[in-house]
Amino acid sequence: MADGVAVPQVQPWQPALRFLRVIPGVLLLAAIGYAGKLLEQNLGAYAKAHHWVFPNIEYVLWAILLGLLISNTIGVPEIFRTGVATYEFWLKAGIVLLGSRFLLGDILKLGGVSLLLVAIEITGAMAFMTFLGRVFHLKPKLITLLAVGSAVCGVSAIIATKGAIDADDEDSSFSIAAILALGALALFTFPLIGHALHLGDRAYGIWAGLAVDNTAEATAAGALYSDAAGKLAVLVKSTRNAMIGFVVLAYAIYWASQGQAKAVGNKAAFLWQKFPKFVLGFLLISVLATYQFFSKDQVGTIANLSRWAFLLTFAGVGLRTNFRDMRKQGLRPFAVGAIGEVVIAVFTLGLVVAAEKLFGF
Amino acid sequence: MNTEESEVQVKKPWRLSLDSWAVVIALLAALLVRAGAFKHIPW
Repeated sequence: MADGVAVPQVQPWQPALRFLRVIPGVLLLAAIGYAGKLLEQNLGAYAKAHHWVFPNIEYVLWAILLGLLISNTIGVPEIFRTGVATYEFWLKAGIVLLGSRFLLGDILKLGGVSLLLVAIEITGAMAFMTFLGRVFHLKPKLITLLAVGSAVCGVSAIIATKGAIDADDEDSSFSIAAILALGALALFTFPLIGHALHLGDRAYGIWAGLAVDNTAEATAAGALYSDAAGKLAVLVKSTRNAMIGFVVLAYAIYWASQGQAKAVGNKAAFLWQKFPKFVLGFLLISVLATYQFFSKDQVGTIANLSRWAFLLTFAGVGLRTNFRDMRKQGLRPFAVGAIGEVVIAVFTLGLVVAAEKLFGF
Repeated sequence: MNTEESEVQVKKPWRLSLDSWAVVIALLAALLVRAGAFKHIPW
């Protein structure tokens, strides 16, 4: 092949423009998140002062509800969209900072148990979703995307797999819509089920981390239960995220062997490319906290920074959830996702209860 | 498309992924806290 002429796109003003474009949306995330925090603080006190019976609704739920209200009524105006999309960035930065609240020993102990549970969950979920997709006569690559999305980590896994197996845009849209819709449902149902079953913070947090697919929703579902449950949900979900490269690689090799995807060249480079780097950041901060690189007050400050980052994330979860758009994606993939998610939720709940008895966490 | 056109490749500038940016910014924030730039951030 003849050497091509490299034409670098040098537009020095572009980064500054990109930065300016995110500001309105980030301000909207901050305003909604902060409004949620104010509602939690003031509405409860107001209701108490006026002898009203009003449930204590946490800022997490307020932020999500306010976002949902805007997204599903007036919609998110174009000017805010780029900034609203940064909620994934705040989520990942928040998870890295949350590492300061974990000592390495806790991670090794809980990480070991959660790694075992995650391995069982991933295997079981992928096998069941594949079976279910075949029963419903879905397209093979759509089945792969739904299996990866529900077994590993939601939207990121679907996007990573789509590129690796050359799946259609339509199939990935179907899968993402199904995973997001079910994640939104999990936000409201998981805490209710957890309370109804009197699950402890640890058991609930591990369950949310294992069964809720998208990282933002898993973090929110955990935080809705309690602070401790939120921490555990993030740890277990991050363990699931760490598996993404291996699962995507396995599917890429499978579809390449069927002649329906490009062959994977350097497998180590592929794994590194797909590996979620925020998991490494989380571990690094945890190592630093374990070896007392930060004082106790500094750990408190870093943990508060993490909470602020999550606040923006929760507002973003509500703002990007549009039920009308989800309805357009069709019923069959959603039905497969819904049946699969219910079965996976029950299966993982059983796993957590059994592990709690066995390992006594 | 002629051959000359097909041989022109658009070289994309090297960029950090969203994941890596999140790690860099979070670590930077933690280091600033360690250095005493932020004494206390309330919640």
